[in-house]
Formats: sequence, structure tokens, C-alpha cells
Amino acid sequence: MAPLLLVESLKARYGPVQVLHGIDLNVFDKEIVVVLGANGAGKTTTLRSISGMVETDGRIEINGQSIKKLDPSEIVRRGVAHVPQGRGTFPELTVEENLKVGAFIRSDNDINIDIEACYQNYPVLYERRTQTAGSLSGGEQQMLAVSRALMSRPQLLLMDEPSLGLAPQIVEDLFTRFVTINEEHGTTMLIVEQNAQLALDIANRAYVLESGEITIEGQASELANDDAIRQAYLGA
Amino acid sequence: MLDRLQRNGSPASERNYQIAKWICFTIFLLLIAFAYVDVGTISIGSNNYNLSLIRLNKAIAYTIAILGLQVVIGYTGQIALGQSFFFGTGAYVSAWLIADHSWPFLLTLLIVIPSCFLIGMILGLPALRIRGLYLALLTFGLAAVFPSIVKLDKLYGYTGGAGGKLTSNYKFLAPSWLPFDEVAQALQKLPLLGDFFGDGPLSTREESRLWKFILFSILAALCFWLVHNLIHSRPGRAMRAIRDNETSAAVSGVNLAITKTLSFGVASALGGVGGAIYVAEIGIASPDDFSSLVAIYLIVGLVVGGVGTLPGAVIGGLIYALVPDWASSTQSISFVPERWLQGPTGSLILGILLIVLTLFLPGGIVMGWRRLKAMIRNNKSHLAIKNLDKA
Amino acid sequence: MTLSVRRIWGLNMDLFLQRVFDAITNGSTYALIAVAMVLIFKATTLINFAQGEQAILGAFAVLQLWYWGIPMWGAVILGMLFSAALAAGLERVFIRKFDPADHLPLVIITLGLFLVINAVAAIVWRFDPQSFPELFPSGNAFTYNNVRLSWYSIFAFGSCVLVLIVFQTLLTRTKTGLAFRAVSSNLESSRLSGIKVGPTLQFGWALAAAAGTLGASIYAANPVLQIEPSMMLRALIFSVTAAALGGLDSLWGALIGGLTIGFVQSVVVQYIPFIPNEMSLSAAVVVLLIVLTLRPSGVLGTKAVERV
Repeated sequence: MAPLLLVESLKARYGPVQVLHGIDLNVFDKEIVVVLGANGAGKTTTLRSISGMVETDGRIEINGQSIKKLDPSEIVRRGVAHVPQGRGTFPELTVEENLKVGAFIRSDNDINIDIEACYQNYPVLYERRTQTAGSLSGGEQQMLAVSRALMSRPQLLLMDEPSLGLAPQIVEDLFTRFVTINEEHGTTMLIVEQNAQLALDIANRAYVLESGEITIEGQASELANDDAIRQAYLGA
Repeated sequence: MLDRLQRNGSPASERNYQIAKWICFTIFLLLIAFAYVDVGTISIGSNNYNLSLIRLNKAIAYTIAILGLQVVIGYTGQIALGQSFFFGTGAYVSAWLIADHSWPFLLTLLIVIPSCFLIGMILGLPALRIRGLYLALLTFGLAAVFPSIVKLDKLYGYTGGAGGKLTSNYKFLAPSWLPFDEVAQALQKLPLLGDFFGDGPLSTREESRLWKFILFSILAALCFWLVHNLIHSRPGRAMRAIRDNETSAAVSGVNLAITKTLSFGVASALGGVGGAIYVAEIGIASPDDFSSLVAIYLIVGLVVGGVGTLPGAVIGGLIYALVPDWASSTQSISFVPERWLQGPTGSLILGILLIVLTLFLPGGIVMGWRRLKAMIRNNKSHLAIKNLDKA
Repeated sequence: MTLSVRRIWGLNMDLFLQRVFDAITNGSTYALIAVAMVLIFKATTLINFAQGEQAILGAFAVLQLWYWGIPMWGAVILGMLFSAALAAGLERVFIRKFDPADHLPLVIITLGLFLVINAVAAIVWRFDPQSFPELFPSGNAFTYNNVRLSWYSIFAFGSCVLVLIVFQTLLTRTKTGLAFRAVSSNLESSRLSGIKVGPTLQFGWALAAAAGTLGASIYAANPVLQIEPSMMLRALIFSVTAAALGGLDSLWGALIGGLTIGFVQSVVVQYIPFIPNEMSLSAAVVVLLIVLTLRPSGVLGTKAVERV
């Protein structure tokens, strides 16, 4: 079976600094794949390469079609949504407007139905639908950012450290919800995380990224039991 | 530094080379001065272009003002657009002292420099809170109000109102020990080139003009030397740190308040000196010579010469002094309606220059020249390597 | 007590009222240019120094079209379209390639545009002031003693409010407007949501230029003014101050800022004995200085969060 996302010998640089040294990675339909790695390993750059925010060398394909050199706004139309790190919302816009922006590429009549669905998933967003996103708490903003991304009805959802800066309880809720979304809508997910414990719990497969190279890959359950991983990322 | 040493051998020979270079440059300047002391014109088609020392003296005034912009914009990264304000302040202070108190020109600088420095520092204070575009906005406003300030009735006694302040009572008499006549006549006797230097002894006016040019050049050289030393000193490094990243400069112990106000003060003082020279050259300080358009032209000079390069100020000053003047001297070009040429073509050309250089050559002419030199040098070294390979 | 009611606190109420009306008239035109600057600032955090010149070029185009026999309001609409198209082109060619966070090149480019547009206007239409046809019914809507409220004032203010309502509707009710606000709120997430940032900003430039042209046309249509290429220089300073007062990112702030500046110019300056008449420009700059120093985000603006 061909993967939904295929990344082959991906290289990226910021000015003189080479950040990715040739990454191979693939994500199959309906999978949850997690990329683990420390700060500066190149996790964010990997995601930004896929969504077209940085210039790269190598192959990036969605459903067998190359998306390299495409503008980010075009890549979204190919079914890739991206929740960037930390600030995935539009702080000056209301919650409802945020969701509408998420559906920007769509012109069908189901947008309001999807907004209702978001509100059902996260009732707190419904309560705050006329408030500006900037006035929400960190956890609520992350929910909104994910909902915003889902509004484009993506095949593949890229998430950049969704747990960053959130309280453990909220992170658990958030991740449980990811599984539900994955199961209900069949949304494929590629999550980069430092919080290995939770990420490995919900993921099917995992990669470990170190200094711009993939060093380990395998089934999430295997990695969770791997001694090296446990030492490096699980603090055990 | 290292590659410099390698290229030119020992530091001592590097120094001799520099000294020789500057001596050549000085002689070259003097030759130009003698050649153009009477009104020199170039004719292209039916248009005459003026090349007299008056233009060059104005260019020196602009150069010094642009040098000030180099300090505050080029080296400190503060977008301050109001240099015409200080250019005007210097001009008016100097004019007032000369006209009403009969001070000699050089002495007025002793008032112009500290007063512009102080005003610049005070007006720079808001820059501690106001940044980037807001600062650009405010300083542009400052430039816009200058003419209406000097036109105030209350200041009429000092500024002469809309009519301006005449300083023609002060004559720049060349000191008699300077052998201008002798040099001029010696130059006129040169074979082939003699014709360029006119004939007969110099008139008093010509001598005075020459003397001004030499005096202003020396002042400009002093300013350059001071600014050069400033940017390579500790406060200068602090300025560049602020330009590159204000936050990290503050974190690494740069005192933002002192450094920024110092930079504004120096820039304004230079603007003031430029203004004083301008007035000394044209003999009148009038309000509309210091409008916000002048502020923009000075920015053109800064950008076209090259932001953050000292020689860029000279090129900028020349362009400001010559381009609008020559553009208005151009009264006929084939295919262009004469009616158009009567409009502000100089402003148009300067605007186009500003845009084109920002788009295609962000370092200005100086950086372009350096890049060209580097390219030629690289080609040479490639050749050298190829030859080595063959051998 | 023979003291007239019209003299309260030593003020001549007639004169005072008249000046308030003047303030509203001037303030409305400043507000229109300020709105243009706000639109661009909102989206790109760029202050377009050429805004006033673009506006005057548009007003000259209106005048030219009128000379060619097009009815005045038709000429105004065509002129607005012309300057919108021109602004869209300028944005594409000169602005888009620059990093919006690096202010210096952008300031320089807009200063360059300032020089070029000003020169072109002066080359084509000359510096001589020309009278601009009237846009609104002439005469006074209302006269009481010596107080006159001209139709021009009413319509100038009305058009300003109308433009604001149209823009507000455009920005909050349409998809393009939503995209525009999204871009000004979070550039990266906008791109990741599929918004084409370039064309969206271009739309903002076009809209701004159209507003500016309307503003300049109304300004020039003032019966006491004539149109000439550098008339916008003063207005630019007033408008910028108005925009800054409103916080540079609020449409209605621009109106309130414009009216405030009009008030300062026509009322406050007249009643402070030591500020001469011609100092109204300086008064505006002083207001700008105070606002920027004490409340950099303006009176109605959103507080900007500095991100390091």
C-alpha cells in the first residue's frame, strides 16, 4: 500500500545552518505517527517543510503526488492541515471566526455543520464562541487551533508539540480527543512531540529524530519498551 | 583582518599604502578645485550642466548631514527621517550668529555643534520608547514642521521670517599666506592640461570660493575621522549591537538609553554642521530650503551611497547636490516633451534611484562597487589557481 | 445682566460653534486618509508614506476624467478604481518581495514612491493650483446668526461615516474581509489555512488607495481649497497623527483620531494665545509625540505583544 505522506531524503537549511540531513519518513492512511526528538532536533522544520513553509531538497509526496515547491496555501488544498507550535490561532478574531478561517478553502454548505461538530467536541469553545481567541486559556487555544485545522477537512493533520506549555490533565484530554477524531473521521495524524509518554500511548508508529536525522523507527509500543528511548525520552 | 595582512604584506606597508592613497586623493581634490573654481560647464546637446565649486560645496554640506544619518540609521538602526530639522537648525543658528552678531563662520560651529547635539539628544529621548515605524513617522513630522517654526512671527527677529536670514555680510577671505595665485598659474602652464585651469590670476571671489572649498573639505575630513573613530570605539560597537538586535544588545549589557541618545546627538550635530556649511555657501538661510522634501532627499543620498558605509555619504552628497540641479538644467531631450522637462524631473530621478537601488542593490553604490571589486579579485585568483594547476 | 447667552466663559459661542463645524469638516477628510493608512498598517504593520501622494494622484485622475466630460461622481468612482488598480500593482512590484518585519527598506520604498508619484503629478498637472469641481451641493444647510453649516461639511462627514460602514461590513461580513483580518492577526496560520497572503494584502492596498482617493477628492472639493500636487503633504501629517491617535489599527479609531485632530487644528489652536495660527501642523506633531510616547498603541488601538 502506498503511503499517504512520503518523505524521502529531505534536507532543509536556515541560511548557512543545515537543519535536516536527509530524512526518510512515511505516514499511511488513518495512522497516528509521532516524531520524537529533543529541542533543536529538527522536528518543527520537518513539519514546516511538509506544509511548504521552508525551502527543501528531497521528495515530499501526498498520495503519490509531489507537493514540493507549492505554496502553503496550495498544500492545504491538497489535504494537509498544520497546527503550528504555540500560536495556531488568530488572537484578534473571535472563536467562531477562527473556525471560519479554518474552512477558508471550502465552499460547500457543510461548514456550519462542522462548526457545530467542533462545538460538540469542545463545548467550552461554544461557550466562548463570541470571545476573541486571544482571551482564551492556553488549553482552550490549543483546542481551537486543532479545531481550526480540522475545519479544512484534512486527510493529514500535522501537529507541532500540541502539549507545549499545557497542564498534564489538559494534555491528556487533548490526546484522548485526538484518538477519537482519528477513529471517527479517519484523520491521519503526524505529531511531533517531546512528551514521549503520552504520544507513544496514542500513536501507531514512531520515529526518533536526532540532530536532523532519523535514528530510530518502529511500532509505538515497541519504542515505548525500548531501553534507549526510555532513558532518553521517558525519564526512566 | 587576516586576509588584509596576507594581501598587503606587513602592517607597516599597509599603512604607507593608505597614507599614499590619501595624499593622492587630496591632490586630486585640489586639482578639481582649481579646475572648476571659475564656473565650469559641460554641454551635452543644447543642455549646459554646471560643475562649479558652488555645487561641490553644497555637496559637502549634504555629505556631512548624510554622515549623520549613517550614524543613526546606518549604524544604530533607528529610522530617523528628520535630518532636515537639524540641518535647518544648524543653518539658522549659524546664520543668526553671523548676521546679527558678526561672528566668523568657524566660531559659529562652536555654538552650532553643542546646540544641535543637545536638541538631537532631547528629541531622541522619545526614541527610547518609540520604535521602528512610529519613530519614522514622528521624525518625518518633525521635518515637516521646521519651515513653519522658523516662519513664526515671534522668531522673526532671529530667523527673518519667510524671507530668510541673509549672511552675506561675512566674506570668506582666503588667508594671504596661501599661494593660490602661484599654484593656479603654475597649473595653467602645464602642457596639455593647462587649458583646464583657466587663465590669469584668480579674482578675490574665486579665491574666496577656493578657500571655502578647502575649509569645508577639511571640516568634512574631520567629521569623517571622528565618525570613523566613533564607530570603532566601544559606544560605536554598542550602536551596531542595537542595530543588529536591540533585545540581545540590551541583554548583553549595552545601555540602550545612553547609546541611542548619543547616536541621535551625534547625528544631529553632524546635521547642524552640514546646515552651517550650506548657509555659509549660499549666503542665506530660507525656510523652504529645509522642508521635509530635503529630509527625503537626504535619505536618498544615504540609500544611494550605501546605508552603513562611510564613503556612501560622499556619493550621496554628490548625488543630492548634482542630480536635481542637472535635471532642471536639462531643457531638451529628443522624444521627451519640453513641458515635462520643466517639471520636477530631479525629484523623479531621485525617487526612481531610491526605489531601484533598494530593490536591486540594497547596499547602495558603495556595496555594489565592493562586490564588483571582489568579483574581479575572485576571477583573478581563479586564474592564478588555474595557472598554478598548469604549472 | 446684558451679557449675551452666546458668550459663555468668555467664549464667543458663534465663533466656537463655527470652528467646531470646521473641525468636523477637516477631521472627516483626514479620517479618510487615516483609514487608508490604518488598512495597510493593520495588515502589514507598514506605514505607507506615499499614501497621501497616491491619493492626490487619484484626485488628479478624477479631475482629468471630469475634464474629458465624465460626470463628477462617475469620475470619482473611476478615479477610485484607477488608484486601486495602481496600488495593487505597486504592492505586487515594490512591496511584496520585502520581509514585512524589516522596516527600513519598506519605509525607503514608500518614500521613493512618494517622490516619484509627487513628481509625476507635478510633471503632468503642474504645480499651479487648479480649482476642483464641486462634489456636493453648494451653500449652507443651516444658518443661525453667524454660524454656518455648509452642505459640504455635512456631506464630507457623511461620506466618511459611509466609507467606514462599507469597510466595516466588507471586513466583517465577507470572506475576503475575513481573510484580510486573519492575515493581519496571524500571518503564518493564515497561510496554513489556505489564505493566499499576497493577493489578500494587495486587496488591502487597493482598498486603501480607493479610500485615499475619495478622501483627497473630497478634500480638494472644499470650496476654499484648490488642488495642487503638494497639497497632501500637510494633510498626510494630520492624517498620520489621526491614525496614530486611533491606534493605527482601528477603523473607527481613525475617524475619532481625525475628528480630534480637526478639533485641535480648528478649535484648540485658535484659543491658545501663544500658539500662532500657522502652528496647527506643529500642534499635530506634538499630539503625535505625546500619543506615541505615552500610549504607543494609541487611544483605541490593540495592545501589541512584543515577541522576541
